[in-house]
Formats: sequence, structure tokens, C-alpha cells
Amino acid sequence: MGETATARIGEAKSTAELDALETEYLGRKGEVTLQLRKIGSLPPEERKDFGQAVNDLKEQLNAAISERRETLAAGEIDVKLAKEAVDVTLPGRFYQVGRPHVLVETLTKIKDIFIRLGYEIVESPEVECYRYNFEALNYPEEHPAIDEQMSFYITDDRLLRTHTTAYQHRQMENRKPPIKVCTLGKCYRVDAVDATHGHTFHQVDCFVVDHGITMADLKGTLYQFAVEMFGPNANVRFRPDFFPFVEPGAEVAVTCSICGGKGCNVCKGSGWLELAGAGMIHPNVLEGAGIDSEEYTGFAFGFGIERIPMLQYGIDDLRLFMENDLRFLRQL
Amino acid sequence: MKVSTKWLKDYLDYDCSLGELARKLTMAGLEVEEIKEIEGDTIFDVKVTPNRGDWLSIVGVAREAAPLVGSRLKMPSPQVDGSGPAAADLIDISIDDPDLCGRYVGVMIRNVEIKESPEWMKERLTAAGMRPINNIVDITNYVMLELGQPLHAFDYSLLRGSRIIVRRAKPGESIVSLDDVERKLEPDMLVIADIERPVAIAGVMGGSDSEISSQTKDILLESANFTSTSIRRTSKRLGMVTESSYRFERGVDPSITAIAAMRAAELMRDLAGGEVARGLVDVRPRPVEPWIVETRPARVNAVLGTDLDAGVMADYLNGWEIETSISDGKLISKVPTFRQDITREIDIVEEVGRGYGYENLACTLPRTQQQGKDSPEGLFRERVRRILMSCGGQEVLTHSMVDSKLAELAGRSELVLNVRNPLSEDLDSMRVALIPGLLLVLQRNQAYGTVNANIFEIGKIYFSKADGGMGEKLSVAGAMAGSLWKSNWSLSADALKVDFFLCKGVVESLLDSLGISSVRFVETSDPLLHPTRAAKILVGETEIGFMGEVSPDVHEKLDLRERACVYELDFCALMKSTPDVLRYNPLPRYPALYRHIAVVVSDEVKYESVAGVIKRSGEGMIEDVDLLDVYRGEQIGAGKSSLTISMVFRSPDKTLKDEEVNSVLDKVKEALGAEVGASFR
Repeated sequence: MGETATARIGEAKSTAELDALETEYLGRKGEVTLQLRKIGSLPPEERKDFGQAVNDLKEQLNAAISERRETLAAGEIDVKLAKEAVDVTLPGRFYQVGRPHVLVETLTKIKDIFIRLGYEIVESPEVECYRYNFEALNYPEEHPAIDEQMSFYITDDRLLRTHTTAYQHRQMENRKPPIKVCTLGKCYRVDAVDATHGHTFHQVDCFVVDHGITMADLKGTLYQFAVEMFGPNANVRFRPDFFPFVEPGAEVAVTCSICGGKGCNVCKGSGWLELAGAGMIHPNVLEGAGIDSEEYTGFAFGFGIERIPMLQYGIDDLRLFMENDLRFLRQL
Repeated sequence: MKVSTKWLKDYLDYDCSLGELARKLTMAGLEVEEIKEIEGDTIFDVKVTPNRGDWLSIVGVAREAAPLVGSRLKMPSPQVDGSGPAAADLIDISIDDPDLCGRYVGVMIRNVEIKESPEWMKERLTAAGMRPINNIVDITNYVMLELGQPLHAFDYSLLRGSRIIVRRAKPGESIVSLDDVERKLEPDMLVIADIERPVAIAGVMGGSDSEISSQTKDILLESANFTSTSIRRTSKRLGMVTESSYRFERGVDPSITAIAAMRAAELMRDLAGGEVARGLVDVRPRPVEPWIVETRPARVNAVLGTDLDAGVMADYLNGWEIETSISDGKLISKVPTFRQDITREIDIVEEVGRGYGYENLACTLPRTQQQGKDSPEGLFRERVRRILMSCGGQEVLTHSMVDSKLAELAGRSELVLNVRNPLSEDLDSMRVALIPGLLLVLQRNQAYGTVNANIFEIGKIYFSKADGGMGEKLSVAGAMAGSLWKSNWSLSADALKVDFFLCKGVVESLLDSLGISSVRFVETSDPLLHPTRAAKILVGETEIGFMGEVSPDVHEKLDLRERACVYELDFCALMKSTPDVLRYNPLPRYPALYRHIAVVVSDEVKYESVAGVIKRSGEGMIEDVDLLDVYRGEQIGAGKSSLTISMVFRSPDKTLKDEEVNSVLDKVKEALGAEVGASFR
């Protein structure tokens, strides 16, 4: 009986079949149980051996059942889990997450670099006095330099600032050297709108006034910025340029990030891209703000922001930034 | 300005390649923007900065290049021996307004033959972008390009009274300029007049009735030095920018006046067969002589961050014809009259810097050491940005200069700042709120096929003040429409469909994340918002913004497909409402018990009152009240709602028993019945 039972248990196809077999053999009326009950009717000398044999059988069957039960259970979980299978390639369900605007993110990145370089970021007004935008920055009255910055006027003496540099005099009036500040924001110029021009653009402007500030400090600062912004291979090129509020004045170019300085279409073969206007703060500007230009010197620089993400992401049309097509914004 | 390098060769010998020459000029500050090959010549397109009027000629460029290529300028020296009558006997010149004209030179050339210019001259003019006209006019233009001195040739026979008077225009005067347009003159404009009428707008353009024609025989050639600011003002006022006005605005060398006149006379003799009268008339009420600028070499090094020897500095300066010697350890520079940009020490510092080469300057960092930091607004702005993005908001950046109709749409026309000289009608004002611009973004994206959107912006809005002043301040606003799901297959789209409450959820999440408590939403009205789905947002007693569904009117005007919801908060008010320091509350030590009740109240009763009654009557045991469902239907009768509310009961110092909670719940129900007329289902 033992062999047949063990074989049947080993072949049981399901937990239910196994349960039935367990009852058949070991249940209250099971074959093994019935055998055990027979003991009483056996002669006393046979009882011990018989009892021993039946108990062994019982144990053997119990072991077989529990072994089979485990095997079956494992199989049945597999079946159950198999039924729960999902198509992992179906799309996830979630709400649309938000992203930063690429230009604001660039502004933040630039701001962080200057904070690391020890600048204090200050807020600055966009609706500005003519005086702060031009006169205080040493723009002579009736000078063609003003033509390069055609302004939108609100009243006779209020205009939309044409450069973030307009905050310079305000800062100098309210502080004492050493001054090391930076501002960022919108600027406006009368300019026809196309892929590379707009009436509104963003600038960053930094300046330092202290004892012993040199043009080499200016160059080193912009070099540091270029490396942080464009990577360790970036370099800067300084060449003379004119802005009324600085003297000596410079135009600053960085290594073309497209070709790495070898020369390409974007940099017109020069290997350099114009980045910033810069220079040593003109003594007239310092003196106009009550700072002794003999005792103190300073440098200032400013640049447009739009160009940077345009180069970094290969964006060919400036207008995309403010058009806010979500298909564009969600890519960056 | 276009510079023929072939022409340049007339005044400068150089061995380097044109590419090298272009690089040297660029690095010295005279940027060669483009190099163009034309037949037999190479043209540099150079960008002349507004301070360097002296670069606006071939000679000027040659002078700049000379020390860069180790050469010297070969200045043209006209050789003219006059004959016949003296110029002074043929023409009488006087300057009535010497403040506007420092020098006026007149030369007489008689019996010229008007014809075409020779090919070489036409080529050079064309290369410079000028149109050849006839030999006389071409010569005036040629000499202007060569030496930078604008010239004008009058037909002598058409000048009345053989007189030239340089004076301000008289009231009511006008002139027909060479381009055949009648120009009304204003009394502060300088004119060249004969005894009867103006014959030229000084430094801008000649008059047509004294113009050179094929009949012209005798010429009065004008070479003058007019005051920059006056020419600029006149040119702007009349809307006329000419080669002449462009140069005068940037300053013309007062020492070149007579040389240029003689150079033109020489060419008229050679190319038009003219007889140059003896002498010239040179009226010079304000002679200009070279001036002295003293410079401390130590100062130069201190500004540039260099360690240059005074002798080296002097060499750079002398290379550019700024005669410099060293005396008492100082650089003593005699500044030539064409360098009107050099008036003080700092200008000399720049010249030395240019001579040394900016590319040779070292890279150092300023000694100013301070801890960098963001502005308080900047720091807070970053926080708000991050929170709104985590609420699914896509950041956008919109224009501040907008159509004033948007202020009307927002019902805030009285606040609007108008732009006086807008580029176009739809850019005639500064925005008074962010919402209208955000709605336009929704509209535009709808047109591009993107209807589902949740956008926000932190930016400035601008306003006029009652006292006539104007201001600007930061604002935080959002707009959303459609569904906020990115993908929700098999799930209800409605679960994240934009409505008042979803929008409110974003605002609440923002305020909650900032740690702002005691926030209330109170019905309000706003021209932008739906009349019965609008709320103002109060923190304590301070109103910090508003939110709601966009008004049906605005909705229709913008043709939005989905109902949009918006919010706009005052950035500074939000910042002020945000606690500087957050304190932690110890986590509860005892378990909570939960109860739900269905409260039936009439529709006039606000949820806020129901929740308030529950909290107040909960004997301090109710930790949290939350709304699970709002049901309206026949079962509970018209005009009523059933609010399913869950409550969390907890005591800070013991484990609550069911009986305790039930007894409190009874009291809560009793209070709800008494205070808001609630019944229970």
C-alpha cells in the first residue's frame, strides 16, 4: 500500500487532489487510520511490530504529502502570478510634470556662477530714469553712442532700460566701496523682430569697485566665468571696444562652443563668439556717484543671455524663447 | 565702412597678409567684420565705434594700421598753385554763429568741365558703396572718403551776392535739399546761406538750387568744421543721415579742413580742367591746437594690471602720432586734433592698453573677497519656481511689453503704463498682470494642437500710481486648462480635469509647501474671472492674490476650447507671508481613531463653517477634518448638499476609547445641528 500511496501523492496534480489523498489515507476513515484501529484486534505479540510499521507508513505519507504540498503551492503561486502579468511596454500613467523655462534656467545658472565668484545679486528696475540709463553712465548729450541703444519711452525722462548697466549708478549711490554686485533681467531696445533680434532681451551685468582693481582682474573674472559656463577648454579674447561708461573698454569673445575654436559657420570662421561688453569703469561714472576715482578703480561687464542657450542647444530662432510653445519648452 | 585695401596701399606700405592686417586692426579695436574679394581688390568692412570719427577715412585706417604693421602713414600733400584772381575777391565768407561752426574754408575753381570721372575714381567710389555722379561731385566724395572731411561744391553762379553766411536758420525758412524734398528749417539748425536764402543745410546736405549741373562753370568748394551736437540734432530732426552728417556727428579733424579743400582743388584741376583761384578763404573763429595730456605711468600699470616701462608706453603712443615725451617721470602727450576722444589720463591708459595688446593682459581675480549671495527675492523666487514645477507647472516666460487691450481685458486700464514710441500697436503698453499673457500662451498652444496645459510665470508687472509715479513689482501667476494627465489610459480623464478646485489645489499646495497657514479663500469678483467661481486669497487679514475660473467673456474673446483656471499672487506679499523659520511638531505618541459622518446642510452653508464647527466642538480631540464627498440629489432634497466628512480623533496624552470618541462625536453633531442647521444621514 505504501508504495502505491507514495506514488499517488507524488503525482497529485493539485492541492485539492492532494487533500483528497490525505483524507483517503490519513483521514478519520482513511486507510492508514483504519489500519491503526485494527491494532486492538491483533494478538498482543504482533501489536508492537504492526503498530510500528503503520506509524512509519503514516510518517512516510505525511512527509510525502507536505513535500508535495510545497511543490504544488509554489507552482500554484506561479500560475496565479502569471495571470497577473502586465505589458511592461504600455505607457506609464502620470500627470504632466513641469519643467523650468530654458532661458530662466540659464539665468539661474549664470547667477549661481557669479554667486560662487563672490558677487551679491541685486534687484534692479526695468522702467528707468533717462539719467541712470545714459547720463550717469557718461553718455554725452547728443552723442551717436545713444543711437546704438534706441529706447522705448514712457515719459520724457522715463524709459525702458536699454541695458542692465543702468543699475550701476543706483548701486554706487547707495553703497561704499568695496562693491561687488550683479544684476540680471529684461532690457528693451527699439529693434525689428527677427530670428536673432528682439525688442526685449535679457542681460546680466556685474561690477566691482575697490582699491587696486585692474583690467587683468576683469579678464581673469570673465575667463573664470567662461570656464564655468562653457567648460574647461573655453578661453576668452579681449579686444578694444567703446562704451561710454568704461575706459579702457573691451569686447569679450569666448571660444566658439560649436567648433571649439577651429572656425565654423556659427563663428564665421573666427573661432570666437562675441559674448560681452566690458571695461574699467570710467572715472566720470565713479566721480558722478561720489566715489574718488583716484583712490578706487573698478571694472564692469555685461552681456546678453539669449545667445548662450541658443548655442548650447542649437536653437536657431530667438523668438522661440518667448513664444512658449509647449512642444519646445518640454524638450529642454 | 568699406575700405578698399588697394586704396589703402597708397598711404601705407605693409608686408603682412590681408588676413593678418585684418586681425591686427580687429585686435586694436577697429573691427574688420567682413572681408570681401571683388575684382582686383579686397574690401574690408570695418565697424567704427562712435568715439573714433578719425577712423572714418582711408587715411584714418592707414594711420591706425601703421604702427601695427611697423610702417608709417604716407599723408597726401596736395600741390596747388593758384592763378588768376584771389579767392577772397570772388567770395566773401562770414560765420555768424561761431558756436556751431569753428572753421570754414572756401576755395574757388573756375572753368571746370563737368563730365564723368575717370574709371579708377569710379571704381574706388563704387567699392566704398557710393554712386558716381559727375567729376566734381565725385571728387568731393572721394576726398571725404580719403581724408574724412565732408566737402560741398556749389555752383558759384547760382550763389547770390557772392556771399556765404554761416548762420542759424531764420523762422519760417525752408530749403529744397539735393534729394528734391522741401525741408522746413528750425531756428537752431545751422545753414549755409547767400545774401537771400539758405543754400545748404550745414553738414547734412546741399540745396538743389545751387547744385552742380552740366552747365556749371565755376565752383565754390566748401570745407568746414561744424559742431557735432548741432549736426546730430539737425540730422535727427530732419530724419536725414548722410555720409557727411555721419562724419560730423562723430567729429571731423579741425586741422584737415584746408588740406582737404586743397586736395579737392588739386583733383578738380587735374580731372576737370579747373583753374584754381589764388589762395583760399579760411575763416577760423575757433582755432583748435593740439592739447597736452599728462599721464602717470604708475597709474597706467595700476589700471591695466601691467608692469610696463614708461618708454614702452611712449613708443605705443608715438606710433599713433600722439607725440609723447617723458618728463619728471610723467608721460607728456601732445594730442593731435584728430584724436578728440583723448582728453584725460584714462584715455591715454586705453591707448597704452591697445598698444600693448589686450590679448597680452594677464588673468587675475579681484582682491575683493566677499561671500556671494542671491537677493532675498531671488532666493524666494527659486523656492516658488521649484514648488510650482513639482505641482506640474511648466515655467514660461512672456513679454512685458504688450497690447494695451490686455489691460482692458483685465479691467485694469487705469494702471497701464503706455509706451510712447511703440514698435507697433500691439506692443503699446507694459503688462499690468501676468494672467492675460498666460492666457495668450494657452491660446497659442491650442492653435498648435496642445490643449492640456498647466503653466506658470514669475515676472514683473508694471503700474502707474495715483500720484503720477510709476512702479513695477514681481508677480506669480499660473493658468491651466484641459487635463493635467500626461497619460491616463483606462483611468478617468475627469479625475485631473482642470476646474476651480484643481487650480485651488495648486495654490494650496504652494502655500502649504511654503509653510503658510491661516489661509482663507473668499468669494470675490474680478473682470478676468467667472462671476461665481472666483476667490481672493487671504493670509490672515492680508489679501495676497486671487484665483478662479476665467470669465466666460474672456474665454470667448480668446476663443479657448477648454475652460481655463488661473491664479495670480503678489510676489512680495507671498514672501512676507512665508514664515522665516518653521518649527517641528512632535509626532503623536498615541493612536488615532477615525469617524465618518454625512452632514446634510443647505447650500448657503459654506464648507468652511461646517469644518469650523466640527473643530470648535471637538473638545480638542479632533486633529484633522477632511472632506470625502459632496452629494446632491433627490434623496436629500433640493437646495441641500450632503457632505461626507472624515475626522481624525487623537489625544496627545492617552489612547482614546471608542466611548470617548462617540461622546465627542455626539456633541459635534449637536453643534452642527444647532449652528448650521445640519441633519445627518
